Amino acid sequence: MSDVSLPAPSVMDRLTPGTKAALLTLLVGALCLALESATEFLPVWPEAWTLPVTEWIGVSLEWLFDIIRPAMRLISAVLEYPMVWVNWLLVNTPWPLIIGATVALGWYAGGLSLALMSGVGLGFVLASGYWIEGMNTLALVFVSVPLALTLGLLIGIWSNESARARPWIEATLDLMQTVPTFAYLTPLLLLFGFGPVVGLIASAIYAAPPMARNTLLGLQRVEAEVKEAGVMSGATRLQQLVQVEIPAAATQIMIGVNQALMAALSMVIIAAVIGGFDDIGWEVLLTMRQANFGQSLLAGLVIVVFAIIIDRISARMATSRERFDVRISWVILAVAIAASVLAWAALPAPGDMAVLAPTVEAVDGALTSFTRSAGATLDAVKNNAMFYGLLPLRIGLDGAVLPFTWGFSWTANMSYALFAAAGALGIAVAMTGRMAFGMCLPIIAIIVETGVSDLPWPFVLVGLGAVAWVAGGWKLTRLVVILMLLIAISGLWPRAMLSLYLCGAAVIACAVLGGLLGLLSAVSKPAWAVIRPVCDMLQTIPLFVFLIPVLMFFQIGEFSAFLAIIAYAIVPMIRYTRHGLVTTPPEMLESAVSSGATEWQIMREVRAPYAAPTILLGLNQTILYAFAMLVIAALIGTTGLGQSIYIALGAGDVGLGISAGAAMAILALIADRIVQGFAEERRRALGL
Amino acid sequence: MTASAPTGTPAIAVEGLWQVFGNDAKTRLKDAQGRTSSAPDAAEALRDDGLIPAVQDASFEVKEGELFVIMGLSGSGKSTMIRCISRLVEPTAGSVRIDGEDILSANAKRLIELRREKLGMVFQHFGLFPHMTVADNVAFPLKMLGKSKSERRARALEVIEMVGLTGREDAYPRELSGGQKQRVGIARSLAANPDIWFLDEPFSALDPLIRRQLQDEFLKIQSTLHKTIVFITHDISEALKLADRIAIMRDGKIVQIGTPAQIVLNPVDDYVREFSRDVAKGRHARLESVLHTDTPPTMPDDPKLRLDMTLEEALASCMSLYEPVPVWGNDGQMAGYIHPSDLAKALQVDRT
Repeated sequence: MSDVSLPAPSVMDRLTPGTKAALLTLLVGALCLALESATEFLPVWPEAWTLPVTEWIGVSLEWLFDIIRPAMRLISAVLEYPMVWVNWLLVNTPWPLIIGATVALGWYAGGLSLALMSGVGLGFVLASGYWIEGMNTLALVFVSVPLALTLGLLIGIWSNESARARPWIEATLDLMQTVPTFAYLTPLLLLFGFGPVVGLIASAIYAAPPMARNTLLGLQRVEAEVKEAGVMSGATRLQQLVQVEIPAAATQIMIGVNQALMAALSMVIIAAVIGGFDDIGWEVLLTMRQANFGQSLLAGLVIVVFAIIIDRISARMATSRERFDVRISWVILAVAIAASVLAWAALPAPGDMAVLAPTVEAVDGALTSFTRSAGATLDAVKNNAMFYGLLPLRIGLDGAVLPFTWGFSWTANMSYALFAAAGALGIAVAMTGRMAFGMCLPIIAIIVETGVSDLPWPFVLVGLGAVAWVAGGWKLTRLVVILMLLIAISGLWPRAMLSLYLCGAAVIACAVLGGLLGLLSAVSKPAWAVIRPVCDMLQTIPLFVFLIPVLMFFQIGEFSAFLAIIAYAIVPMIRYTRHGLVTTPPEMLESAVSSGATEWQIMREVRAPYAAPTILLGLNQTILYAFAMLVIAALIGTTGLGQSIYIALGAGDVGLGISAGAAMAILALIADRIVQGFAEERRRALGL
Repeated sequence: MTASAPTGTPAIAVEGLWQVFGNDAKTRLKDAQGRTSSAPDAAEALRDDGLIPAVQDASFEVKEGELFVIMGLSGSGKSTMIRCISRLVEPTAGSVRIDGEDILSANAKRLIELRREKLGMVFQHFGLFPHMTVADNVAFPLKMLGKSKSERRARALEVIEMVGLTGREDAYPRELSGGQKQRVGIARSLAANPDIWFLDEPFSALDPLIRRQLQDEFLKIQSTLHKTIVFITHDISEALKLADRIAIMRDGKIVQIGTPAQIVLNPVDDYVREFSRDVAKGRHARLESVLHTDTPPTMPDDPKLRLDMTLEEALASCMSLYEPVPVWGNDGQMAGYIHPSDLAKALQVDRT
């Protein structure tokens, strides 16, 4: 302990980048707190420094829209034809035929299990009475997916062909996927007019990027020698592309088709919020608004069934070469045709089916009685989480600690005590050698005392900039600071902070919970056997459906949104953590075992460090998922940017919709780049 | 360098070939050449600038029907070299002439023509099209030539038979072993009956037993087809076994070109000597072991070999020869003849 007081000149040289960044952030934070009362421009971004960016965007876009609207309306009118046609076809095809064809396809792609799944799943849809609504939804998917696939394939090929265009295309794809789904809808509504075509186009736009990405990835992964063999055979560029590279990339491209299908379905459901089309997403929304949760759950399950069937069949066709006897498929189809023809008159209309109505009522009843009896408990859970967790994080201990919740009021002295304690603890930790971590403790104290939404903006700006500097150097810092200033200038800062808070809270919860579940899955096979299908399921379900169960138990509010975000965003954290932990190279494990390490020592010393980059990627995915869900969760009551986007949709305010959407995309982008930076740094350190 | 002057137009003539990787390589190479007096200095200057001179000022000629091996360790630039000659990468400077035609100035259309009709290539990791059957893979160059389906199939089966894969023509590459895959690669490269055959470490990815087997079959095929071959390898014994002449590359430079015997017995520097060190062990083997006693071909040279000479002694006296030479018995009668290249090969076989 004698070397605590280091000689001053050498200190700066001996600090790690992390420590320097933490030190700077801490200093700025302390300065902000000290000057808080003395200055007005520190705590809140001053009104006078904002520009009416939102209005400018609105005005210029509307000017642009006025010019291109006729062309867009024409497209809309043209697209109406295939949509109406496919819709008519799906709705009027006898249901035994549709079920039969799906089962036949399921058999061909995946044998008995997929055939059974398809049969039971569609049987459930039929029994639910939502057949017609379901077909309306599928019609949108089936028209939008070919558009998305064509678009995606062309974009993928283009970016493969033109090295100069590639970075721009990739940036655009990033943007298309990070801009929240709702934010698309406002401009599309203004351009294409009200109606299902907007949903169609939105889902085509949303589903094209995964197709484009997988196409590019597949083409780039074609072995160099395979390409060279084509060239040396004297293929022209077109022959080379069509006959060699695209077929060789087929598996990856098929994975793109699978992802595009899922994205299209998800978006079609989301687009239901604009209404005007009698589809299954609308049904969920309607019943949810009526608090008719049994019915809502049923409609939600129909969506889940569609999603699972589409996903499993297309995924199997993409990744497995095994095909089952096609003759059996023909037999199934023949039986279905025969049934349709012979029993046509006797078949009940699919829309009238109400086999599940009693079940729905029972569920509703049970739910009502459950919420009534357990209402106090549920409320207690919610209130405790809000008062002792979320609220302090949002508005800080100084605002959240009130006599009627905590039993006392927060005083300035308590703040001093908290800072002093955190500072002392931080110094203690720093003396054990973990300088950066020690420094972080008082920073955390500042955040918790003040609350994320009330943090002084210079502190946030410097803090994010410092983290970016550690993760990716000056270049990243510059990007982060400029983008954040952009948000501030647009006057969206307070709302961005609210979004940041809710997302941050959900991500922290996901990281802790998901990390633990991932660890459990890595060490215990039985646990993984349970967790894995749950993860598969959660990843297949369209975003929208997550709202139903949380709403059932916790009503509209921030806590419900928080839970919905966690349910959706936790999956990558679990998966990547487990994957990182179990894929340690065997020779590393063997050398650890032969050095006499115990299981836990191996986990701590070998597996965890090796898995760090993978786990960070999982965290990155979790963050992006959380942002995506945040906007959807605006439907059930969140504040912040998500709410703004939703309001903009209702009011047709394209300026607000776009700028709030862009702000959301900026936050997601910043989080993405910072975490990627850390992951990259870890990978380099491990020499991967 | 002791490249012997060929008669007539060489099949391949490479002159002053440079391949420099990095931004703006062309002008910076010119600049570096202007600043310095020799190629190594220019390369050094480029390297200091952060560029990678993968091939430096390479010149050599390959005669028609000659089996020319380029040998070097990984990173020596040999793979880049063959890609420059086939113009799979765009060389930074220099010229490559195939049958007198400068292919570096050929336009895209002419290049495709050349590749369709004149050039064939075999790859280290086979480069088979994963979505095509063996027959479709082999027939691909013919498809590019615009041949009809039946014609393609017939020719494909013919070449497949030549490489000993009859019966596997409808299998997919993923169903084949490594050796079988490379047989497909060889068949494909020969399908369009090219004059010039590039082989980029064709046997390096195979295990030793299969490698030897394929080497022997390759020699057999070449003895009937007489292609002009550029063959890349990192394996000195493979080079000595197959080559008419060998070019040894190091750090992007060709350090020596010569017959196998010259490489083994007269290495220009320690680097080449290091390669052939393990090789020169047939000190006690006599000439009898490689003697041919059938009717001798015309033999322009007579280095006065005696039957009781060791291989090494014999090599020493005929190292710049590659036509067959007579061997004299102790009784003064001609006991038979040998191929000088057999000497080096024989030394190879002894090594275990």
